[in-house]
Amino acid sequence: MENRTAQIQNITYDDGIVKKFMLATIVWAGVAFTVGLLIALQLAYWKFNFNLEWLTFGRLRPLHTNAAIFAFAGNAIFAGIYHSTQRLCKTRLFSDALSNIHFWGWQLIIVAAAITLPLGLSQAKEYAELEWPIDIMITLVWVVFAVNFFGTLARRREKHLYVALWFYIATIITVALLHIVNSIEIPVAFMQSYPVWAGIQDALVQWWYGHNAVAFFLTTPFLGLMYYYVPKVVNRPVYSYRLSIIHFWALIFIYIWAGPHHLLYTSLPDWAQNLGMVFSIMLWAPSWGGMINGLLTLRGVWHLVRTEPIVKFFVGALTFYGMVTFEGPLLSIKSISSVGHYTDWIIGHVHSGTLGWNGFLIFGIFYYLVPKLWKTELYSKKLANQHFWIGLTGVLFYYISMVTAGITQGLMWRAIDPKGQLVYPDFIETVTRIIPLYWVRALGGSLYIVGYILFVYNIVKTIKSAPASQSDTVVEYAAPAKSEQITSPEQGHRKLEGMATVFSILAFIAVLVGSLIEIYPTLSLQKYLNPEQMTEPYTALQLAGRDIYTKEGCYLCHSQMIRQLPDDVLRYGPASTIEESMYDHPFQWGSKRTGPDLARVGKKYPNLWHFRHMLNPRDITPNSIMPNYYWLAENNTDFFILRKKVSVMKMLGVPYNDNMLANADRLAEDEAKIIAEDLEKQGAPKGLERKEIVALIAYLQSLGQKAKVAAPVAPQK
Amino acid sequence: MSQDNDKEIKGHDYDGITEYDNPLPVWWVAGFIGTVIFAFIYFLHYQIADGPTLKQDLKVALAEIEKVKAAQPADILSEDELGVVFNDQKNIALGGQVYAGKCAVCHGNDLQGVIGPNLVDQYWIHTKGTKVGMVHTVAEGVAEKGMPPWKDLLKGTEILAVTAFIYSKKGSNPVNPKAPQGDKIETY
Repeated sequence: MENRTAQIQNITYDDGIVKKFMLATIVWAGVAFTVGLLIALQLAYWKFNFNLEWLTFGRLRPLHTNAAIFAFAGNAIFAGIYHSTQRLCKTRLFSDALSNIHFWGWQLIIVAAAITLPLGLSQAKEYAELEWPIDIMITLVWVVFAVNFFGTLARRREKHLYVALWFYIATIITVALLHIVNSIEIPVAFMQSYPVWAGIQDALVQWWYGHNAVAFFLTTPFLGLMYYYVPKVVNRPVYSYRLSIIHFWALIFIYIWAGPHHLLYTSLPDWAQNLGMVFSIMLWAPSWGGMINGLLTLRGVWHLVRTEPIVKFFVGALTFYGMVTFEGPLLSIKSISSVGHYTDWIIGHVHSGTLGWNGFLIFGIFYYLVPKLWKTELYSKKLANQHFWIGLTGVLFYYISMVTAGITQGLMWRAIDPKGQLVYPDFIETVTRIIPLYWVRALGGSLYIVGYILFVYNIVKTIKSAPASQSDTVVEYAAPAKSEQITSPEQGHRKLEGMATVFSILAFIAVLVGSLIEIYPTLSLQKYLNPEQMTEPYTALQLAGRDIYTKEGCYLCHSQMIRQLPDDVLRYGPASTIEESMYDHPFQWGSKRTGPDLARVGKKYPNLWHFRHMLNPRDITPNSIMPNYYWLAENNTDFFILRKKVSVMKMLGVPYNDNMLANADRLAEDEAKIIAEDLEKQGAPKGLERKEIVALIAYLQSLGQKAKVAAPVAPQK
Repeated sequence: MSQDNDKEIKGHDYDGITEYDNPLPVWWVAGFIGTVIFAFIYFLHYQIADGPTLKQDLKVALAEIEKVKAAQPADILSEDELGVVFNDQKNIALGGQVYAGKCAVCHGNDLQGVIGPNLVDQYWIHTKGTKVGMVHTVAEGVAEKGMPPWKDLLKGTEILAVTAFIYSKKGSNPVNPKAPQGDKIETY
């Protein structure tokens, strides 16, 4: 007792960095939501593409997803982690300098993304579109974040790590692993690169990354935040410590395996698909562990849901989390995936996650944190309540319209009449049917934005009412006297919670197991290839065209993967084979069919068809919602860089010969001349041979035409 | 789940947050174990115990569809029978609608030829100007020229109707006709 006074220390938390990340969250949320609404409108009415190449759906969709995940959710995560970690460790952050490098570095990355993506500088890998210089920046800033976080843990005054910190640890380690492995790429120019992975390899790595971006960027950090802010706000103990332990370890171990559920019925080997499906199903209970612990922590204070907007947002977030993590395993069941995959059902699913779970949790935390950090009162509880109800209505409109659209379209695609023919052979029929639902979705998104505007107004008013002199929070910390410390030796998990390094290593091993088992076998792609069905590499001009395809983001609306399903085969031709994408760096299987599959579009239509269709798709398909791509007939193809591109492909294992390596540009020019002459003969304007559209046509005409031997399963004789 | 039984765990206090020592909910444990058992059985069935592969499943499904298709009699009409069908004004009217929706894009609103060839002149590439040949080309397409097969996209009656419509436009004089392609058929 007597030496207690001597042990009292003052701790000054760094609130400034938390405030910065919070303001960045609020600003970028506006960007993410607005771009989201714009591209939603583009699907309802194609003229919202404004006939500008920088504003087409294909260019802006990556901007929307990157902004929502990495700018909106990302900045919110950093704010919440930096705020709660200091308090849970009873120490200031490791380094103010690192905190600031982290903050400004991350904002720089976002600005770089906002500039490069509309310009079409993209790797065409979903949620990993950013080009290699930005990938390196992300890696560096993430390392800064990790050093700052683990440095803070090392200086902690509390011996044991609280469950929130477990989730933060798993997040930081796993995101680093995912980002680095998925971004291994060889540059061909300052803002262009090819991934080392190809075909099924790239598909597996990409969806291991893509699915776990959801897991370790939108789930684990948010569960960590939930574990801190929910009990803190309602001042109730966490429901079950044991549940925390079990569901944490089960969640991070199982989640990492689930990626292949994005690839069911594709040419990915069956074993990987089966693993992806069963691990997704096993994920249901561990996911719900977090929801149970969150909701049951509210026992005894349920009346707060009526009066406190913050609690409303938390309950809403947890409920959406529960819905999404039930729907996820459901969609991973093969037969359900065969209806839902490539449709808007998936879009509805992810938005109930980001808008409902991530968004509502962030709003709840911010309504709590802003008054606390700025040392004032929330400007209006009433506005916050209205925000909740308007936002909730918005999410529900969004979700219900998209699920309806997805199931409607999925069932139309697969309908086969008693004569063995497709009931809706025209793809466009299945699009025009769901256009009204695209308008409902846009309405839902608009309502969510109205809620967001109320939020911004409320926060601005609150900050304006804050005292002018702001200072960091200072707390007194008294180290527990020796007599108060538990003397009996700790055992099991409790002991582990005192050992941050060992804990982190174990978490790393937990996520490494599934990663290695799934990715390792496909590293030697050769053993999955049938030597009798090998494909020809792309010609130089086709390669140039392929880069235009990726630049314009065609993969965001068109798949190149005919699944092993009868309706897919009837509609598009024989199921895609592993060999057909063996030289695809990156793979272009896609995840959504807003337009039809293109895996076998080659030679299906004359060159002039493609020419007219790219200039104005409505000349060919009256109700098409595809943008006009007239600039492809104006911009020149870069022939000069083709030698470099071919040599990088050769380095990655594509068997190009010496003639191709030395003369790629001239070979491409010759090929372009032939196509341009054909176009001209059919009535297109003169002088197209150097234009991008010719290269793109060369690529499109090669799709499905590269196999040396016809694929075995043919739909018609 | 009665709150009276809740026990806070001693020593668990993190920035004021404490924890209860509640057991795992029984239904949750049962659910978890259930999914794990399902996962094992499912995986073993398909990976070890010779459950059907996706390729095998697809083959069966496609064979089924082929059987249904093969069971339908292919009624190929003769030149004379088609003559009767082509004279039916109802067919020509229906064919006009089909043509506007599907064919005009490539062959032009007035059949003058755009991406595809002129359909009103005497020059024919594949059909020799016969009615049977025209119906066949519409149904089966000409893959190497980019003419798609329409037999899966149109009903049998629609294919006959659209050919009747094309035949009815024989010798009309559209503006901007596409240059002749193929052989001149004097009898057409």
